[in-house]
Amino acid sequence: MLEFMRVYYILSKVAWAKALENRSQVIIRMLSTVFPLLMMVVWLTVVNQVGPAANWQRSDFIAYYIGATLVYRFTFTFVVWEWDRDIRTGDLSFKLLKPIDPFHYFLSEQIGWKLFDPLLLVPVVALFVWVSPEVHYMIGLGKWIAFFISIIVGFALSMLMSCAFAMSAFWSTQSSSLYNLWYGVGQFLSGFIAPLPLFPENIRSIANLLPFRGLIGFPTEILIGKLSWPEIWLGFRVIGFWIIAFFIIYRLLWRYGLKKYEAVGS
Amino acid sequence: MHTYLRLIAIFYKNAWLNELEYRMNFWVNSLFSIFWLIWAALSVRIFFFYTDRIEGWSYHELLVVIGIYFTLNGYNQMLLHPNVSRIPEYVRLGTLDHLLTKPINSQFLVSLRNVNIYKGGDVLLGLGLVGYALWQLNRWPSLGQLGLFVVLLLAAAVLLYSFSLILQTLNLWLGNVERSDMLIYALLETGRLPINFYHGWIRQVFTVIIPIALMTTLPAQALLGQLPWRSIAVSVGLAATLFAFGAAFWRSALGYYTSASS
Repeated sequence: MLEFMRVYYILSKVAWAKALENRSQVIIRMLSTVFPLLMMVVWLTVVNQVGPAANWQRSDFIAYYIGATLVYRFTFTFVVWEWDRDIRTGDLSFKLLKPIDPFHYFLSEQIGWKLFDPLLLVPVVALFVWVSPEVHYMIGLGKWIAFFISIIVGFALSMLMSCAFAMSAFWSTQSSSLYNLWYGVGQFLSGFIAPLPLFPENIRSIANLLPFRGLIGFPTEILIGKLSWPEIWLGFRVIGFWIIAFFIIYRLLWRYGLKKYEAVGS
Repeated sequence: MHTYLRLIAIFYKNAWLNELEYRMNFWVNSLFSIFWLIWAALSVRIFFFYTDRIEGWSYHELLVVIGIYFTLNGYNQMLLHPNVSRIPEYVRLGTLDHLLTKPINSQFLVSLRNVNIYKGGDVLLGLGLVGYALWQLNRWPSLGQLGLFVVLLLAAAVLLYSFSLILQTLNLWLGNVERSDMLIYALLETGRLPINFYHGWIRQVFTVIIPIALMTTLPAQALLGQLPWRSIAVSVGLAATLFAFGAAFWRSALGYYTSASS
């Protein structure tokens, strides 16, 4: 176990070094998450015009979108592209030679990158919350803990979902396109485009049962104090279900895909 | 002039033949373009559950702006992305040195050498969305308005190109900031919304300093018949000025360029 943790530590450190090397890129990528902020601007205009929408005030929208941008940075993963490249070019063979499962490479790499984001983002958000009197995230210690856990399970869900989709690369060259499509639909149901409580009832009840909400909407709604404890427990149970489901799909496809991969390689 | 037209014909015919080799890819990409167009149109639908008009814009009027955004974004990926945005890569790989030895204007080569043909579909799809929105509004523009729209859209394309060229030329001097073209994407993305949606200093910035308002809002207003003729002078004048500045900037930057390896 200790050996295993040491491997993770080293692999994450490598990813961290790579991230540092591309500092300017990281900052530029961060600037380019413009879309949620645009949506916020429109909501503020709407609220200004017709008053609170579904009881959401101006401050709620600001708090939501700032929070969602932060959560998005933590739960987003780009492993599908990495898997796709490794499988297509045959680089996967090098990872297969190593004594640990390739999954650990991808995971530790993501962790390395993620360590970089909070350093840049959390101070910005903290400063913003400090100077703006409208926005605060005072939800009590219990819910803060729930928020942290929701980020971690959201990241785990995102990771396993990506891996499950990435396995299609063993059979097709369009695996990342397939994932983009899935993710694109998901953006409506995750709370990325707009807070889910503002959608009509029927869309909301479907979204509550799908995996996407766990990536953005669920953690963010905890953070801005819109969820009661029973709702939080329900949300965690849904995420737990999807984590297990995607894990099983991923491992099954991995076993079949690997056989096919070896067949091609030899 | 004749030489340049002939070169473009050769370059793009080549690109077209290349594309024909991957027909499946072409169809998959077209399907994706349609998906993202619908995505863009539906994503703003939610606001209209709560109000009929935002700052005077109805849903279908907003779709005109989104269609124009889609068209410009397609143009960005079709022509700017495979050309000017690759200047840092040209420098790193030494391709630029190679390009400079050709007996052809260097700005022409770094701006128009390549083309991403299937993104041309995005350009057309965006215009299709504009047409759909106008049909829903049942408000067909007059011939004069249509002409104004075309001129403003071309001016927007020139503006966007000049911005990219200036940004990437800065790269020659400041060292390579790879993927700085993401800034262009981010900038363009703010053009999804009409300028009236922004308030305070942000609107000032988008109108005066970075004229994103000229790129999507003005052409939309031209089609919707809410635009005075003189705005055409502002838009075309600014596009011409920035283009001239960009070209001069590129030439003077080349004067300082000493290749990556020396």
